[in-house]
Amino acid sequence: MGAEGAAVPDTAARFARMLQFGDSMFPIGGFAFSGGLESAIQKHVVSDLATLRGFTRTAVEQAALGDGIGLIWAHRAAAAGDTGELVRIDQQVYARKLSSETRTMSVRMGKKFTEMGARLIGAPRLTQWRERIAAGATPGCYPVALSVNFAAQGLSAREAFVVHQYGVAAMILSASLRLMKISHVDTQGILYEINAGTEAAYQSAAAMHLPDMAGYAPLVEILAAVHVKAYGRMFMN
Amino acid sequence: MGAAEPTPALAPWITAEALGATAAELAPFQDEPPQMRSGAVGKNGFLHVGFERRGAATILADLDYRAPYRAQRALYCDPGMPDMAWVFVITTSGCVLQGDRLALEVALAAHAQAHVTTQSATKIHGMDANYAVQTQAITLAEGAYLEFLPDPLIPHRRARYLSDTRISIAPTATLLYSEIIQPGRKHHHPDECFGATVISASVCAARPDGRTLFSEKLVIEPGLRPMRQTGVMDSFDVFGNVILITPKDIADRVDARVEADVDLQGGVAFGASRLPNEAGLVFKVLGRETTQIKAKVREFWAIAREEAAGASLPPPFFWR
Repeated sequence: MGAEGAAVPDTAARFARMLQFGDSMFPIGGFAFSGGLESAIQKHVVSDLATLRGFTRTAVEQAALGDGIGLIWAHRAAAAGDTGELVRIDQQVYARKLSSETRTMSVRMGKKFTEMGARLIGAPRLTQWRERIAAGATPGCYPVALSVNFAAQGLSAREAFVVHQYGVAAMILSASLRLMKISHVDTQGILYEINAGTEAAYQSAAAMHLPDMAGYAPLVEILAAVHVKAYGRMFMN
Repeated sequence: MGAAEPTPALAPWITAEALGATAAELAPFQDEPPQMRSGAVGKNGFLHVGFERRGAATILADLDYRAPYRAQRALYCDPGMPDMAWVFVITTSGCVLQGDRLALEVALAAHAQAHVTTQSATKIHGMDANYAVQTQAITLAEGAYLEFLPDPLIPHRRARYLSDTRISIAPTATLLYSEIIQPGRKHHHPDECFGATVISASVCAARPDGRTLFSEKLVIEPGLRPMRQTGVMDSFDVFGNVILITPKDIADRVDARVEADVDLQGGVAFGASRLPNEAGLVFKVLGRETTQIKAKVREFWAIAREEAAGASLPPPFFWR
C-alpha cells in the first residue's frame, strides 16, 4: 500500500460527503421552496419545457453573479479562520436579498445546514458558527453556511460553489415535477445542460470582489412579490 | 490677482473616477476618449442641493454646482404639499457622454420636505471609448421626507454607464426613490432595444451610524446574458424600480395597499417586497411602454405619500 492507496479512501470519503451535503435528500428543507416557480406557473410565465429551461437558467446565472461570489469570499474567510469577516460577508449577502421569501429561504436553509453540520461533524468552527447565528450576531445565510461547513471538512470553494449552483437548479426542477406537466427525462436534460456552464461560472465568480455581487432578473423578483400576496400556496416561495 | 478659489480636499467626482476604475463590469473599457479626456472640465459635473425647514416651509438652503449640472431656485408648485420644495435638476449638456463623471448630492436637514426631479429623460449616448459614471449621495436627517423621482434613463446603443447611489437615512425619515430604465430608443432602430453594452446601477442604504439596511446592484449586460430569457425581461421592455425607505408602521400600511400581478397579455407586471432590516419596501414594475411604468409608479407614489406625509398627489403634468 503506497501513498496512493492511502489517499484514495480519504479522497473518496471527501467526494462522498460533498455528494451527501449537496443532496436534495439532505434535510435542510429545500423541498419546501420552488425558487419562484410556483408563481411563474400560475402567471403563465413558465408553461412548457423551453420556458422552464429559461427560468432555471436565469436562477442559476443569478446565483453565480450574487450568492456565488459571497460563497467564495466566505470560504476564503472560513479557511483563514476570520469570523469577523465571515459575519460581514453574511450581512452583505443578507442585505442583497430584497424579497422576504428569498431571505426566509436563505436563512432557514442556512440555519438547518449549520445545525446538521455541527451535529454530524462536530467541528468547533461549526458549533461556533451555530452559536453566532443563535445569538443573532449574524443572519445565517445558506451560501455562507455552506462555505463554513465545506471549509471545515477540507472541501474547496469550487466544490461549495458547484453544490450551491446544483442545488438552485435541482430545487426548481424538482418543484417543476410537482407543479407542471414535465417528464423526468426533460428535467434531467435541463440539469445536464446547465451543469456544463458551472466551471466558467466559477472562474468568473472567483475573480470578483465582494461588492461586485449583482444581478438582474426583475420578473423573478416581481414573481416573488406576487407569491407573497397569493391566496393559495403549496411552496414557501 | 485675487486669491485662488478654495478647492475641497476631495472633489465629489473623484469617487466617480475611482468607481469607474475598479468596477468589474467596466474593466474592459478603460481606454480614454479621443475627444476631451475623461473627467475634464465640463465633464465632471457636480450638484449639491441642501434643504432645511424654516417654519412650515422647506427652503433650498445650500446650492452648489459645476457644469454641466445646475439647479435654479426651489419651486412651491405642489397643491398637495404646498410647503414642500421642488427642485428640477438641470444638465446643460443634454445627455451623458463617454468620459463623463457626474456627482449629485441631496441633503435634507431634520423635518425638511423636498421633491427632486429632472427636466427631461437622461439620454446616455453610444460609446466607443471609456464610459460614464454617476454618483448620488442622498442624506436624510430625522423626520425628513424626500421624493426623488427623476425622468427615465434612455441608454442608447453601445452605452456604458455606471451609477452608484449611497443613501444615509435616519430611522424616522422617509425616502421615495425611483429609477426607470428604458431599453433604448426602441422605435428608432431595432438595435436600440437592449442595445446598451453595460448599464450598472447600485443602491446602498445605511443608517447614520453606518448600519447597512440593504444593497442592490443591477448589472445589465445584454450582450452577455439574453434579456428575453424567462425571468429576466421576458416580453417586457421597460423597468421601473421604486424604493421606499420608511418607518415600519408606514411600510406596513403601504404594503397592505399595494397589489402584485403579472399580466403577460396586458404587458405589465408589478409587485412590492419588504426590504431587509425593516428598511421599507421595494416596488418593481415591468411594462412594454414607459407610460405603463409611469402610471404604476404614480399609483405607488400616491399610496406612499398618503401614508407617509398624509397628503395627496398633485394632478399629473399635462405634458409629462
